[in-house]
Amino acid sequence: MAATDTAPAEAPGGLLDRVDANRLLRPLVRVGLPAVLLLIALLLIPFVFTRVAPYTMSDGVLLVLLATASLGLVPLTGYAGQVSLGQAAFYGTGAYTTAILTVRYHQSPLLGILVGLVVAGLLAWLLGLALFRAAGHYLTLATIAVGLVLAVVVKQFDLTGGAEGISGLPALSLGGLEFSDDVSFFYLAAGVLVVASLVVQRVCRSQLGTTLLAISDSPIAAQSAGVDPAPQKRFAFVLAAVVSALAGSLYALWSSFVDVNTLDLNLSLQLLIIATVGGRRSVYGATVGAFVIVSLARFAKEWLPAVSSHAGGQVEIIAYGLALILVLRLLPRGIVGAIAASLKRLVTPTAKASE
Amino acid sequence: MSELLQYVVTGLTTGSAYALVGLGIALIAQVTGVINFAQGQFVMLAGLLFAVLQEHRVPTVLAALAALAVTVLVGLALERLVLPRQAAGRTDQAIMLTIGASIVIEGIAFVTIGTEPKFARPFTAGEALRFGGASMDRQYLWVIGIAALVMLAVWLVLTHTRTGWAMRATAMDPDAARLSGISPSRMSLLVFLAAAALGAIGGIVLAPLQSPDASVGIGLGLKGFAAAVIGGLDRPAGAVAGGLAVGVVEALASGYLPSSQSGFADGIAYAVLLVALIARPTGLLRRVTGERV
Repeated sequence: MAATDTAPAEAPGGLLDRVDANRLLRPLVRVGLPAVLLLIALLLIPFVFTRVAPYTMSDGVLLVLLATASLGLVPLTGYAGQVSLGQAAFYGTGAYTTAILTVRYHQSPLLGILVGLVVAGLLAWLLGLALFRAAGHYLTLATIAVGLVLAVVVKQFDLTGGAEGISGLPALSLGGLEFSDDVSFFYLAAGVLVVASLVVQRVCRSQLGTTLLAISDSPIAAQSAGVDPAPQKRFAFVLAAVVSALAGSLYALWSSFVDVNTLDLNLSLQLLIIATVGGRRSVYGATVGAFVIVSLARFAKEWLPAVSSHAGGQVEIIAYGLALILVLRLLPRGIVGAIAASLKRLVTPTAKASE
Repeated sequence: MSELLQYVVTGLTTGSAYALVGLGIALIAQVTGVINFAQGQFVMLAGLLFAVLQEHRVPTVLAALAALAVTVLVGLALERLVLPRQAAGRTDQAIMLTIGASIVIEGIAFVTIGTEPKFARPFTAGEALRFGGASMDRQYLWVIGIAALVMLAVWLVLTHTRTGWAMRATAMDPDAARLSGISPSRMSLLVFLAAAALGAIGGIVLAPLQSPDASVGIGLGLKGFAAAVIGGLDRPAGAVAGGLAVGVVEALASGYLPSSQSGFADGIAYAVLLVALIARPTGLLRRVTGERV
């Protein structure tokens, strides 16, 4: 009875409710739900990877470290359209700095991590000063060159242990907790991944993210609107370097060993492929992409020696390359981008009605 | 003195092969806006195929032609199957696709040919020529001669044929070129085929001097990039000068660096590339003119 009375008035009230609900729900759906899904997926990894056959717990640690290292490519490559093939240079800078400080100078691992971040950030900032003056795709070339030059340099000096690298890093301990086995280290690294994902996402959703997108879409239009692209790109580049260095430092402390492979072009390629396959416009793509790459590497190690005897470890790179090509051609926004797009298509009618 | 002359001669020889690689990179960059990261793999593929065919007693000329043909086919596949049509809009995507193609080509070479280096015979047997205290392998003459002929041919095509004019028109202004009836898709295909051929010729002439293995593509590609960037990615003639410069710097570095630091010689071409990018990201030889928008 009351229902029929209020029926005409319900329309605006209902609409208002829906608007409010949307205002509450949208940030929850946009930030909360994917973050919760990420947390659940990460918490499942120790249970799955210790039980399901080809995976090992060290795959799990590697997965979160690689995901963290490729996070910075979301603003840099996904938003600003700058392809970096030198993330490993910063990963390696973090790893080597931590190794040198802890092994050669007996400093605490935490200080090693912090100094690694600063050194990598400074290196990226200096490079950015020089490289972003001109438009174009010179960054890709320059970042490859930086990685290769650093790889030659670390092999030449005693401080960096030459071709043998540096071994004997101490285990990381924080507040009385020691992270020396794979499972405890995994929880630490997963926590770092979640925090780093949220920070990078915050940056992407800020004014800077919009500006980077505009610069990538049309540098001339962005410039005529008063935006100087160089400082914005430089910030994205430094952020990407710092996040990679954090992952590299953690890797060094986990494996207690650093060598030239932490600076390798192959690692940079892997990181670019992780960001692209997962979805280079979404911070959650990094974790999905890292899962794909770690799985490809694991299955290649298990099965391929039987397929081809004289190719060594090089066969998996065919799979990486094919994954990159297929995803770019078929799902240009990556796996997460494709899922988000199809979810949006389901949600859009109601969203439109409320706006 | 004769030492210096020797290093310069060696550097000019390898440099003229790098120039061919860089010329291919510059042509693609100019006409399509794409930086082709698979260029070095064209060089590797052709050199390696040439050496393997020679090992199987295929005559030199046939081996060279077969290696060239296969590499050009790979260039065709890259442009038609891997890159999207209308690549011009999203060059970052096209660049990543060439990176993917580069990895796949390298991986396939590893799987089919293996990791060990292959040794190619010089084109003609005979003693090294001597002049002014420097000795010159006969292969040096082949490298310099073939590179010079190929560059002359590229210059003639670019300046004296309708196709060459169309290519240069597309490079200057793709929209205006399309409006006057030039197909950007056809230009893109032609320039990729040309770049694959240039890379392949560079790889084949170098093979007797630097025994190729499946991993050399990235390094050779970067030397080509260094050549193209020094000369300015938008000027084919600059890429030739850049290639010669990279070759000479590399030869001088590996000649004069003490053997305890010979490891640095490996990185010299990359350092040259980095310095060129930092010092003058628009190309060292480029005259200062208004920017094309």
